Amino acid sequence: MSTEIVGGAAVAPPASPRSGRAARLRQLAPFLPAGFILIGLFFVPLALMFVFSFWSTDVNLDVLPVWTLENYVNFFENPGYVRTLLKTMLMGAGVTLACLVGAFAVAYFLARYVSRRWARFALLLIIVPFWTSYLLRVYSWQAILGEHGALNQVLMALGVISEPSFLFVYNDVGTFIVLVYVYVPFAALVLYSSLERFDFTQVTAAQDLGANSLRAFRHVLLPQIRPGIITACIFVFIPILGEFLTPSMVGGASGLLIANLVANFFKNALIPEGAAIGFMIAVIVLILLIAFRRYLRVEDVYARG
Amino acid sequence: MAVFDQQYSRRRFLQISAAVGAVVSLGGVTAACNVTGGQGGTFNWMTWGDHYIDEQLKAIEASDKIIANISELAGNAEGFAKLKEVKGQLDMISGDALWVPDAYYKDGLIEPFDINDLKVASQLYPFAREFPIWTKPEGYLGYPFGWSPISIYYNPKFVDPAPDSWEVLFDPKYEKRIVVENQPEEIVAYMGKAAGFDDVYNMTDDQLATVKGYLERLKPNVLRFAQQATDSVNSMISEEAYLITGNLGNEDRVKDGGGPEIKGYIPKEGTVGWMDAEMVVKGGANTSLIFPYLEKAEVAENIAANFITHGRPLFNEAAYKVLVDQGEKDRADRYHYNESESILAATTLKGPGTSTEKSIQLFNDVFAA
Repeated sequence: MSTEIVGGAAVAPPASPRSGRAARLRQLAPFLPAGFILIGLFFVPLALMFVFSFWSTDVNLDVLPVWTLENYVNFFENPGYVRTLLKTMLMGAGVTLACLVGAFAVAYFLARYVSRRWARFALLLIIVPFWTSYLLRVYSWQAILGEHGALNQVLMALGVISEPSFLFVYNDVGTFIVLVYVYVPFAALVLYSSLERFDFTQVTAAQDLGANSLRAFRHVLLPQIRPGIITACIFVFIPILGEFLTPSMVGGASGLLIANLVANFFKNALIPEGAAIGFMIAVIVLILLIAFRRYLRVEDVYARG
Repeated sequence: MAVFDQQYSRRRFLQISAAVGAVVSLGGVTAACNVTGGQGGTFNWMTWGDHYIDEQLKAIEASDKIIANISELAGNAEGFAKLKEVKGQLDMISGDALWVPDAYYKDGLIEPFDINDLKVASQLYPFAREFPIWTKPEGYLGYPFGWSPISIYYNPKFVDPAPDSWEVLFDPKYEKRIVVENQPEEIVAYMGKAAGFDDVYNMTDDQLATVKGYLERLKPNVLRFAQQATDSVNSMISEEAYLITGNLGNEDRVKDGGGPEIKGYIPKEGTVGWMDAEMVVKGGANTSLIFPYLEKAEVAENIAANFITHGRPLFNEAAYKVLVDQGEKDRADRYHYNESESILAATTLKGPGTSTEKSIQLFNDVFAA
């Protein structure tokens, strides 16, 4: 490209519309790999799932490309599915809240009172469980919470209960406990990232100006870490909508979530029937992401202030 | 080495690279020709984990240069659906009872063969070479392997009096004390048996409505769904469960795991069960290796070892004699090894049915929140 010298400064000639488009395309080039991944691994499968959800399966387990709303009608006509979906969302909300409370306490302590070096070491300890497989961790919880598990032994030794109990396993309580354990590190990492950049002298200043601790928390700290809280909510709540393993291992016959019912269809090659429920879960996830899009800041998770 | 210290022009470098590439490719092609020329090779097999023993596979690889490239088979429906997608990418696949004729054969996915062409087939029980469901004008549909009815196992310490029926699963005394395998279609099928129905994979809407009542009675007693057979066994070992459903041989598995003495029985109302076969995939690129492989893998000594390792009866009659010679007669008889014909005759065999989708809907309906 030629340039002309104006007043000692090099000035580019006005770009033609075509060269402007080319420049914009060049700017987009680095995003092409991510774009292909997003399209190939997310949008295309989602579109396939959408199409399959309107088809049906014959007795030979062949998928019939005949358009029907039957799979969706079955879902809404069967109160069990709707109840299980609502229960899954409720479980997700409960686990998210518990993770936020637990993770906030840890992250706040680390960000405010612990040196950065030791805080990083503590965060490393928080993510240590990720070094072992999810399956093994859930199996371990089965052993801890089971009738003859560590928890029952401790409670019996303390005299809290007189005989082993299934109170903590093979029901919704067991699912809740294990899901909190599994997802609390995600929330802790995100919240720590937000709190680490927060200037705690602002809280002190607010208190100097007469605000009590709660008021300072609500009006100074909370608004500034809100994106982190929202991100943590999304990181915890959304995966729980598709949780299959934990409820099947520690949920028992009464603790199944919606993904377990979907899996029953896929295990028997009833793909359209499973796709319809799967697509509805995907729609719920998309609605949530759209609702929270203004708060979803990736830099809250990864970037440092 | 001096050759690596030498300076090369780009042209010279490309020439050398092309020459090396050509030699390597030629070597590969030559090796492949040898492999498919009756000197061994690799075939692709989708099967369950109890259809082979690693040491036996290694021995066959060492002696005959035949390598089994195994992918895990989760279930009949999944295997059937996958084979329809990949077709000739597989060479052999395992399947159960009526899935063989009513799904794989019907869809033209497998190649029938003359079972008497296999020398090792003479070791099978004679009736296993003549199952009517697997006999077609073009030949036999699969090489018979193992079998088992679904039985009930109970811990006599907690379950009294000794049960003989499916009814025990509904007894409120055993609330949250039963573990069943996570196989919705099978659970619905044996609840159909409990209700007195015969054709439990092809139930009518009225029959399914009756079965729903049985499932609802079962639900409060189910502690959890076992993801695999070992989960059921472990729940008996830990005494979390008083009753489980499963294949033959769980008494020994529980005992071997350090658990209590348990007892098992086939419910008097009848039960469902399976018998499986190895099928040759139509259009498989390496199916010429299947017969040589089966001739080696299915010999009595290997099948006897498989029985000891995996603990369920098989169709190799000569292996029963090997087990007797090895002092394992008691175990083999407890597993009804020598009674396959009579037990299977009284068992509803697994298969794809007209009520599959409704069975899953029914199961989900009952076990949903």
